[in-house]
This record gives sequence, C-alpha cells and structure tokens, in this order.
Amino acid sequence: MPWPVYLALKQLFPSGRLSFFTVIATMGIMLGVTIMLMVTSVMGGFGYQIGRMIIDTQGEIQITAASPIDRGKAGEIERVLETTPGVLAAAPFAAGKVMVEYQKRADIPNIQGFSVEQMKKVLPLQRYLIAGSFDDLDDDSVILSYLLARSLGVGVGGKVSLYSPLMMERISQNEILYPREARVAGIFQIGHQQLDSSTVLCSLRLMQDLYGLDEKVHGYSVRLKPGADVESVALKLNQTLPPGVTAATWQETNAEFQSIVTFERNMIFFLMTFIILVAAFSITSSLLMSVIRKTREIGLLGAMGGRARDVALCFCAQGLFLGAAGTGLGLALGFTLLRFRDNIVHFIAHLTVGEQTFVKFYQFSSLPIHTVTRDVVSIIVFSLIASTLAGLLPAWRAARLKPVEALRNE
Amino acid sequence: MSNADPPASPVLRAVDVRKSYPSGSRTLEVLRGVDFAVAAGETVSIRGESGSGKSTLLNVLAGLDRPDAGELYWAGEAAHRLGLDQLTARRGRFLGMVFQSYYLIPEIDALANVVMSARLLGRIGPVERARAAALLNRVGLRERGHHVPSHLSGGERQRVAVARALMNRPKLILADEPTGNLDERTGDEVIQLLLEVCAEEGAALVLVTHNPAHAKKTGRQLLLHDGRFV
Repeated sequence: MPWPVYLALKQLFPSGRLSFFTVIATMGIMLGVTIMLMVTSVMGGFGYQIGRMIIDTQGEIQITAASPIDRGKAGEIERVLETTPGVLAAAPFAAGKVMVEYQKRADIPNIQGFSVEQMKKVLPLQRYLIAGSFDDLDDDSVILSYLLARSLGVGVGGKVSLYSPLMMERISQNEILYPREARVAGIFQIGHQQLDSSTVLCSLRLMQDLYGLDEKVHGYSVRLKPGADVESVALKLNQTLPPGVTAATWQETNAEFQSIVTFERNMIFFLMTFIILVAAFSITSSLLMSVIRKTREIGLLGAMGGRARDVALCFCAQGLFLGAAGTGLGLALGFTLLRFRDNIVHFIAHLTVGEQTFVKFYQFSSLPIHTVTRDVVSIIVFSLIASTLAGLLPAWRAARLKPVEALRNE
Repeated sequence: MSNADPPASPVLRAVDVRKSYPSGSRTLEVLRGVDFAVAAGETVSIRGESGSGKSTLLNVLAGLDRPDAGELYWAGEAAHRLGLDQLTARRGRFLGMVFQSYYLIPEIDALANVVMSARLLGRIGPVERARAAALLNRVGLRERGHHVPSHLSGGERQRVAVARALMNRPKLILADEPTGNLDERTGDEVIQLLLEVCAEEGAALVLVTHNPAHAKKTGRQLLLHDGRFV
C-alpha cells in the first residue's frame, strides 16, 4: 500500500479505533447522503406514481390523427399494431369535452369513450373505481371522476345531462338536439387532482353519438408488453403507421408535466447538494486543523524522504476515505429509512394529526418512493468528489510546508 | 588530523557553506564559510553556544535547507545541484536523522514508525519488517514494538527514533541534540546506544550536542562559534 494511503488510514483510524474527527466528519457526509437519497427517492416516488396514473388512463402510447379515423384507416392501424413487437393490446377511443349538468349544477369536464372490453386489456381503470362497477357501464351511462361527482353532488344511480358541441352545430342548422341523459354507473378516484376533478368515462358508442362520429374514432390507446421500450416502439409505429397518423409516448403527450417533474427533481437535487457541501467544508476545516496540529510530523516525513506531492495525496486520501465511509453509511441509513418509511410516517402522523386525517388528506397510506439508479450514482459521485476536493486545500497547505520550517515549529 | 581537516574519503563534504537570514532591517549571517567533511563510519560531534549555527549547519548538511553559497556532497554526489524531489528521495536513502523531540508518528506503533522509513521509499515487505523488528530488538525494545508512542517513555521514544534512522541502512546519521529532552542517565544510555549501533551498521554519525561528555565519546569533536569552526 502506498505510504500516503497507509498514513491516511492510520490517521483516520489510529490503532483500529475511530478518531473523534473521523466520526464527526463521516456523520456529516452520511447525513447529507441519507437526506439526498430519501428526498430524491420520495420525489421520484410521487413523479413515478403520477406517471403510472397517466399510463393507466392513457396507455403508454397514444395513436392519433389530424381528423377522426374512419373504419378503413382503423383497420390499417390495427394491422400495424398487431405486427409491431412490444405491443400487448390496443383500444380505440374518442375524446373531447362535454358539459355535464345535474340538478342545475354544471361542469365542463373531459370525456373519453372506449370499448369496455378492449379498454380492460389496455387501461386498468377498474382498480381506481371507488363506487359502482364497470360492468354496469353501457351506452346510456357514464363513470365520473371523484371530485367531479362531488362538485355536481351526484352519486351512483343519479342521472346527469350531457351537452355536446354537436348540439351547438345543430342549433346553427336550426335543429334542436336534446341533451343526452346518462346514468352514473360508477365513480373513480385516481389520486391526480387534474384527472379526478374533470373526467368522464363512457362507452365508445355514446361518445360517437355525442360527437356525431358515426363509426369513427379519435385514436388508440396502446399498452406495451412488460419490459418493452416505449421510445423504440413509438418510433417503430411512426415508421409503419398510415400517413397522417402518429404515435406519441405518454411522456410526449404530457411533456409539460414531465418537464416540471424533471425540473423539480433537478432543483431538489441541486439544493440538497449544499448539505453535502457543508459537510465537505467541515472536512476541510478539520483537515486544516490536522495540518496545523501535525506540522512537525509533516516536516518529519519530508526529512525522511517523503515527497511533497505524496504528503498532499495523504490529505486528499483522507477526504476521499471520509467521503467513501460517509457515503456508504449514508446509503445504508437512507435505504433502511426508506424501507421503514411507512412506519416512520405513520408514527409521526400518529403523534401529530392522527393517522386517519393523514390518510384522508394525503390520499395515500404508503409513502411512494422510486429510487433511480442514475440518482444513486449521482449522489455517490458527487459525495466522493466533494469529499476529495475538501481535502485539496489542506493538502496544498501541507505540501507547501518546508520540512526545515515545519520541524522548527514548536 | 585537526578537528576541521577533511578525511581522505568523505561520505559527506560541505565546502565553504554560507547561510544567512534576514533579521529585521539587517541580515544575520549564521554560517560564514563552513568547510566540513565526515569519513565513512566516523563519529563527529559539533558543539557550540546557542545561536552558533549548529542546527542550521545540520539542516544544510541534511539538504533540508539550501545554503546561500557553497557546495554539498553526499557520497561524492553534488547534492547542492539536485532538484527538490531528487534531493528528498536521495536523503531518504543516504542519511537518517534523530531529533531532540523524537518526532514519532503518534497514530502508529513503534514497529510501524521504524518501518515508515522504508515505506516512504516504497519498500515494504517481510524483509523490511524483519529488519525493523531486529533494530527494535537491538535498541532494547523487543517487547515494545506494538506500543504507540504515547505509551513509551522519553528514552524509549528516542530509541525508536534511533532504530528508525538506521532502517534504510544510511551512510550517515545526523543527530540534533538527541538527549535534549532526556534525563542525564537516559541521555547517556541513548548516546552510548547511538554510537554502538552506528558502529555496527557502519554509519557515520554527526552529533550536535551541548553536552561535553557526550561529545568526548565521538571520534572527532568540533566547536562551532559565530558560524565558523574554531
């Protein structure tokens, strides 16, 4: 083992013990890494969960066209979908906006119509149903999102009126089209504010009637096989779909949301790095103290044949070792806390607002986490670099000491 | 041979060495043209009053301090012409140093302190460990090898420092008042040990001391006064 590394280890762990300085400096890095890991994992968890919700309501890929897709083009699209590797299932949909009215309360939510049987293979919406049943959904009924139903004051079995843009079109032609009465067959709750406040689900037939689409559809929701790469399947589809028809990944469809999530995560990561930087500064100040305290030993090393750059390396190595130890312990503590996060969250909730209030308000009983390998690698690399750089200033000071002056230091 | 006369085949030779330091508005001449040489295996003591330049001369001889003028030869090699890295590397092989304050590394035990001399030169293995153990045995610390410096007495620490100085089989040992921090009896023991082990190892010894009795034990005694040998 090169002597700078040997001496660095011996100074950090003299005679197999842990020096006070080592413990304090390691704890600083450890806590920084733990907090970074937890925050990025929880942030990632919320983002990942919302992403899953979007996929569950839209599919991983949506195929759309500039104008409604007729039977002929739909046949072509379905043939392409059947032969494209990675595609598990696809369901046609028609989507738009309607006005929903119930006992003089009205709202203008998004409406999506689909074939129930095909939808079940693509969108697992039934898992979000909190009242009623998808089996009751027919051409004269709708399923409302939770917040929409609450704002309208309607429950399962209630009858709402649907006003579509087709009615305006007919009025301009001096025709009157009466609003469509629809029974509420169910209520769903996804946990996403935007989706929960303004979504109506109905059969494809009902949607085609409301928009006067006849047999036409607006597009297809596509579900992929597990492990299939969304980007490459979308690329393949775009190469083979008929002209005017495009496939977009859920990230592309929700690009604004994605960019906000990415921005938030990067900002949090950036802010959290300051915790590690503060810990790194504590390493710097401790190592500087060490250089002052060990001035004569540094002089001795020079007198015995130790080169200045090796003396510098010794202090850089101490920063690196402290960083490595702190990072390792920080990851271990972070993953342990993430493992028992629900126990911790529920304990805190129990002591403060009460568990029932907590679950009701935040709409989850388990704190979502999603740890991305790239984030963990970034944390490790940043922590090690910051710790090693923290040793640079003390190393420079130590390397500049002239042995004769250092030995004279009493 | 007079006290300052050079030996026939010197292991170390300093020619007209001059060194001065700024002191306020004037310059303090510490060494005023010192000529000095030590033969292989020779023992030389240097005495002088405080401020006579003993330690400065020792630092210059060790290559720790650059002289303002003059030449320095280590086993015939012009040390004054070497670059800093070369000088540092040569020093580790050519000479060993013993200091008044021992300067042991506190985090490692006595054996590791002795081995450290070899480790600094990139030599570390069973041979080096065996030699370090043998040296510790020779200085009477066989049972104390795994004790850290804080668990050793002053005399024991200086014995470790002597063993460390001899670790790389140097041609020369420079000892700067090695008994300064020791009581008289322990100091005598350390000087006797230093002379014995240098003789056994074939290393020349330059001993800077205030103690006339210790100086008399060396083969040649020099007196430094006002930056010159007298």
